[in-house]
Amino acid sequence: MDASALYALRDPLGVPAAPIIFLILGVLTWALHIAAVHILLGASGLTLTGALSKNPHWRRLADAMIGTAKVALSVAIVLGVAPLLFVQVVYDPFWYTSNVLSAWWVIGFIVFLIIGSLALFIFYGLNQSMKSGAKTRCPGSLIAAIAFFLVVGFIMHALSVQMLHPEKWMAWYAPGGIIDASGRSLHEYNFWRFGFFISLSVPVIGLWMIAYRRYIMGRTQEDSGYLDFLRSLSMKLIPIGGVISLVLLAGWMMTLPANVAGFATGIWPASTAAILLLAVALPFVLAKKLDQGYWGFAPFAFGAVALIVVAVMREMLRWVTLFGVHGYNALDYKLHMDWYSTLMFFLTFGVIGGGVLAYLLTVAWKAGQTKGVYTASPMVNRMGTLGISLLGIWIIQYFVIGLWVAYAG
Amino acid sequence: MDLIGLYPTWYEPGIGSGYVIAIIATIHVLFSHTAVGAALLFTYLAYLGYRDDRPELIDFIKKYGMFLLVFSYILGSITGPGIWYSTTVGSPRGISALIHNFVWKWATEWVFFVIEVVGVYMMVYLVGKVDKATYLRIAITFGLASFATMLAIVGILSFMMEPGMPEWTEKGGYLLGFYGDNTFAQLAIRSMFMLTITAVVGGIVVAGLKDQVFKTWLARRLAVLGIVTATIGMLLYPWYLSTLPAQAQIVMENRIPAYYSTAILSVLLATIAYFVFTLIKPRMLTASIAGFATLAILILGLFPGETIRESARKPYVAGEYLYSNQVIGKDVPGMTIKSEIPTLEKVGFTHASVFWPETQREITPQNAAEVGRSLAIAACSNCHSLSPTGIRPIASYFGGMTDIPRIQNYLIGALSTGNTMYMPKIPLKEKEAEALALYLASLADPTVVAKFVDEKTRAAEADAVKAAPSKPVAVSMANPLHTGSKE
Repeated sequence: MDASALYALRDPLGVPAAPIIFLILGVLTWALHIAAVHILLGASGLTLTGALSKNPHWRRLADAMIGTAKVALSVAIVLGVAPLLFVQVVYDPFWYTSNVLSAWWVIGFIVFLIIGSLALFIFYGLNQSMKSGAKTRCPGSLIAAIAFFLVVGFIMHALSVQMLHPEKWMAWYAPGGIIDASGRSLHEYNFWRFGFFISLSVPVIGLWMIAYRRYIMGRTQEDSGYLDFLRSLSMKLIPIGGVISLVLLAGWMMTLPANVAGFATGIWPASTAAILLLAVALPFVLAKKLDQGYWGFAPFAFGAVALIVVAVMREMLRWVTLFGVHGYNALDYKLHMDWYSTLMFFLTFGVIGGGVLAYLLTVAWKAGQTKGVYTASPMVNRMGTLGISLLGIWIIQYFVIGLWVAYAG
Repeated sequence: MDLIGLYPTWYEPGIGSGYVIAIIATIHVLFSHTAVGAALLFTYLAYLGYRDDRPELIDFIKKYGMFLLVFSYILGSITGPGIWYSTTVGSPRGISALIHNFVWKWATEWVFFVIEVVGVYMMVYLVGKVDKATYLRIAITFGLASFATMLAIVGILSFMMEPGMPEWTEKGGYLLGFYGDNTFAQLAIRSMFMLTITAVVGGIVVAGLKDQVFKTWLARRLAVLGIVTATIGMLLYPWYLSTLPAQAQIVMENRIPAYYSTAILSVLLATIAYFVFTLIKPRMLTASIAGFATLAILILGLFPGETIRESARKPYVAGEYLYSNQVIGKDVPGMTIKSEIPTLEKVGFTHASVFWPETQREITPQNAAEVGRSLAIAACSNCHSLSPTGIRPIASYFGGMTDIPRIQNYLIGALSTGNTMYMPKIPLKEKEAEALALYLASLADPTVVAKFVDEKTRAAEADAVKAAPSKPVAVSMANPLHTGSKE
């Protein structure tokens, strides 16, 4: 499929702000989403291991991690909406075609994700007291949840890979010149690539556990044996998982299609490998400092930065493939600048989103570290009142502007 | 090159892609409306709970909130993007039109959604762990953010029916596309019904309360909420109808199954009757009764309601410019969009479509039936099933007719000119119309294909003989179905 056909598929409406903005937002929000996915998978794996163990520390960890997995699931879903939105804005020809060609799998994604989520909640509902030594009930539900999460991950993976192969689309849509509109097949995948993204769950959950350990150290009378267990386990998971991820990354790069094979020896895979190595090494470099101040949270924060680099590499591969090979430039999308909606989004995102979430997360953090009832300080209360005021102002402007446009404009 | 950006088509022969979208959308409406309604209810209950020092109200928020975590915030969160996914595969240019017009509005909704999800977890898990004033602040934040998600989305839903303001077509821009009469009418009616749904779903949780005095008190409050909002919602309905475009009103009068309106009215009256029952006999409320009422609203209320909204906007699916078969049917100068009808009139689907098999770009007697099938998939199958089942089976509109020229005349006379109410203008070149007619005839009688090929081949041979009477004739067109012995 040549570039003129790809350009013909673009939406003639154009985009309401510079395309680069959507590209950057897509990368950043995808990194956040995949971090939540890694925590979900990692926490689910640890929960399963702990649920099948009799070791009290493992049981306690399982108890904590099922709670983490449950929240991570919600966060992964919510954060996943944003990159899904932005990919449609500048890569619509590729995303839509890939989806339509595997339509039943796209619908299956929704169904499988619902089943996996319900299975996770069933396990959570049945196992509220694992740390007290109660027998694990229905571990199969958790195994099913993990299996379904992997399946939906694989579907997303395949859709993302298929969009990089416009040269094969017609052969998939009309094999032998006869249209097959059933959408029953997944046409293209790369197990190395899929394995790389999934395997990152292991080091990421290790980094998360270091932060979790530092967080509960803030509580008084915390069990030192449990803290040692967490440290020991995370220090094993991080290097082992890191090495596995790097091997899979190498495998992915070596199996790239011939027309983009040069990407494998470029700066982006090298940068990715380097920052992943640094993320793996950081907890060992910090060593005893992990117990001091906020240093215990630094490895996870750095891991998040590493995931952004992974996201950038993924985007660069897409760029090299679609622009370099197929001549599609996502940045020359027709621009219909719409200042009002653009500014309103960034104000809402930065001021309301930032302000309100800062308040909510501050309260959640402090309440979690307080024995008994947490009483907010005057400063935190002011943050809360300000957040409510901002939300109120947003709603008022919605009606003022809207009624003016509809009835007075 | 005269290309238009038609994507591949997903054709689902069982129930049709339209119903797949409708089912997912309906389920999402139940979850999402409950979420927004419950958020407002929680805010009110949290206020009452702390003002009057009634911890049982806060406990109820925790119970209902835990239920909502799965019901609305997991299933609702999945089915929300689920609508994107299903419309992506069922109507890619339809969802693209909404995304490209309103990407920032959707992104704004996402910000509120993130706040909402964080908020519901805190509402559930911080009960008794933070001071009263802080909990109340969280509740108000949660309620406002949740309501804001609805505000952000409702104008996009209206645009599916028509642009907010008619000037959008000439001037373009987000504001003129988003805001209009229909936006506010829809917001008002949805706000009422979301509270009605919240009261019904809340009954499932209330039914499990052990404190009978509290159960009575709460069931009655929910009943009053349900009766008032359902009644106001019904009273608002004429306003909502008056904001619909004339075309939609005609479609609703002529094309919607009569039982849909009856079903919706019945379920509304039954809902009010249900609330009157729980008002008088609150202790009789059980989870199964409330669950049944929820299912009734889903199947008999929301599904027909969403289906009517889908059907009424035909032949368009977005902004009154994009046809249901994905072709841009009108100019939109404000967004520098050109109608694709002239291109189709000039070169036809077979040459204008990006996703068209090269072997079908030129129509021959031998590939005509297959081209006809491809045309039916591309131009018809979004709204008409090509099989006997599914949405509006196309064969049923031709009553078993196998007269190809007659069908062809209809296609050219009624569809290519755009003279059929509810249908897009579908310009077909003469050969395309013949190919599509052949395919449609073959649905009633598959043998017509062989006869057609045979006739066309014989005619070609006769023409060849006429053109060169003094020379021996070589058959120029391969015909795998022709069993004659001339060769």
